[in-house]
Amino acid sequence: MQRLIAFNRWLGWLTLGLLAAALWLVFDAPMDYQQGNSVRILYIHVPSAKMALFVYLALTVFSVWFLWKKSETADILTEAAAPVGAAFAMVTLASGSLWGKPMWGTWWAWDARLTSMLVLLILYVGIIALRNGIDDPIKGARATAVLCILGAVDLPIIHFSVVWWRTLHQPPSFSKASASPAISGPLLPPLIWMSIAFTFLGAYLIILKTREIRARRTLDTIEAERTFTHA
Amino acid sequence: MTQLRAVDIAHRFGRRVVLRSVTLNCVAGECAVLYGANGSGKSTLLSLLATRLRIQQGHCHIDDLDIKIHGEAARKRTLFIGHHSHLYGHLSPLENLIFFRDIYQLDVGREELIEAIAKVGLAPFIHQPVRWFSAGMKKRLSLARILAGRPAVLLLDEPYSALDHEGVRWLNGVIDTFQKQGGLVVLASHDPERVAALNHTPWRLDGGVLQPVGETQ
Amino acid sequence: MLRAIYRLAWKDVMGDFRHRSTFSSMLFFSLAVLLVFQAAFEPDHQEAQRLVPGLLWSTVLFTTIMGLGRVFQSEEENGAFEGLLLAPLPRGALFFGKWLGNLVLSLLVMGMLVPLTLILFNVNIWSHVPMLMFLLFLGTMGLTALGVLLAAMTQTARSRETLLALLLLPLVAPLLIAGVQAMAEVIANGNLNGPWLNLLLIFDAIYLALAPWGFGWLVEE
Repeated sequence: MQRLIAFNRWLGWLTLGLLAAALWLVFDAPMDYQQGNSVRILYIHVPSAKMALFVYLALTVFSVWFLWKKSETADILTEAAAPVGAAFAMVTLASGSLWGKPMWGTWWAWDARLTSMLVLLILYVGIIALRNGIDDPIKGARATAVLCILGAVDLPIIHFSVVWWRTLHQPPSFSKASASPAISGPLLPPLIWMSIAFTFLGAYLIILKTREIRARRTLDTIEAERTFTHA
Repeated sequence: MTQLRAVDIAHRFGRRVVLRSVTLNCVAGECAVLYGANGSGKSTLLSLLATRLRIQQGHCHIDDLDIKIHGEAARKRTLFIGHHSHLYGHLSPLENLIFFRDIYQLDVGREELIEAIAKVGLAPFIHQPVRWFSAGMKKRLSLARILAGRPAVLLLDEPYSALDHEGVRWLNGVIDTFQKQGGLVVLASHDPERVAALNHTPWRLDGGVLQPVGETQ
Repeated sequence: MLRAIYRLAWKDVMGDFRHRSTFSSMLFFSLAVLLVFQAAFEPDHQEAQRLVPGLLWSTVLFTTIMGLGRVFQSEEENGAFEGLLLAPLPRGALFFGKWLGNLVLSLLVMGMLVPLTLILFNVNIWSHVPMLMFLLFLGTMGLTALGVLLAAMTQTARSRETLLALLLLPLVAPLLIAGVQAMAEVIANGNLNGPWLNLLLIFDAIYLALAPWGFGWLVEE
């Protein structure tokens, strides 16, 4: 436990350093000739979108691990990862909106990726709400794990159906190039560094949350035992 | 000959240990009665034998069937009647028993079910919805499953609750007949008086350990 | 085992008709939803024809959610659900029994909903009704498979109806998209084939395979 705390603190400082360095690179990078300064929003948007998906992937792995091995660690990780993923999804949507206003002229477009991200956010919120809603911790853990796996199967279907829907049915009102901006050349290094920094940030937050959950559960057990021996 | 062997069973809910080490051997025709205070783990033990809870430690066999591995086959030979009647209020006694028969996949005819209902004294109400029954009537109907299902192993959790004197005597008669026909009974109760009429082997569950009554005290 | 599945479904459908609870509430609820749509959009004749697929599918979705909230309610009195779990049945069979009961009730509602919608919105596409019904049938299969699983998941939760809707709506997004698009295609061209029909079938296949398995994990102790 002491080692985990020390490691987490160290990870926190490393993340902070990486974020600072990446931010410096972001503002050092040249402006995009089409998008101007607003391209810099993408350095937050793209890494957080990747993290929102990556955290869901981790969540699925933890869920399978939990159902398979009944490991409490896996369950705690599942509980810890959900709010972190939700936060990344929210940052993705907010930054996408901020970028969309100057580029598309609207805060929101039913673009395939944004729509999928919105569904992902609702799914994250559902996972958190399901766990909070069930009093029996074991039942709650099992229900959450099954839901995570269901979501993992459904997410690709959601994504592809939304893509088909937006591309086959109603052609997007904006040009394809600006809808899926390709970043290359001198704009690439800050993106890579930002992605690394966000990965560390995700790991840091999940471990931090894990510690909180573990502490809370230990407290709950002590309280339950006290009630039980008094009764 | 039916045989039930539970060896060194331990169980915990989260971090709370309920059963430490339970070993129980029973053969056909025997009725093992588990005594113990509230919260001593009687219901947990019965739930484990009924495969409602998964065995965490130790093992249990019905004949040569490991109930942890062959849960379905074990459930087919076992009937567990607990605190709940498992009855549907909108169905009549007959329909409830037909439902029971079909989900237990028993080969029992309709006449036999009607007969079972008559034996528990509910013949006049055979087509009434169970919803309006008194607690005692519901108990009788849930016990009619013993007559209809003819299980090899019968697990009863506080079967005397909600029964009047007449009902207790009647139930003891049912259990006695069941034993004589080669059935195996495990019964949990906190009331030695009512069990006294039965030909039984008493056990005491205390602190998560099961011991034969009489040897330790 | 088929007998057990049938008996489970029979028990639920029977119970429903004796107390006339879920079926009639679902039916009148769907009428209320149609009324809301009419009041909210006031479509003229042409718009109505364009809106029909969306109208039908959203009504189906809301109505189904309402029905799903009650799927496990009948198992609560007298610890009936415990009784089911004690039966010598694979968990998947229990799931299919509960699913079949809910499916029958939902399909009965759908059967009445289609003509009602066409009458209320005065849309003359009666020749397409069999195809519309078929699409709703396909959609309802997958929708109720996922829905019954989620109902089992939220069974013991606080404010479970809200939770059920919150979980179900994002997960059925593909079904809704595919259903609406396939129906629009039918109304426009009278053509049932196409990628959207395939997507509906894929969705059904995935959830009918996945849901019994998930149900087994949920109820295991």
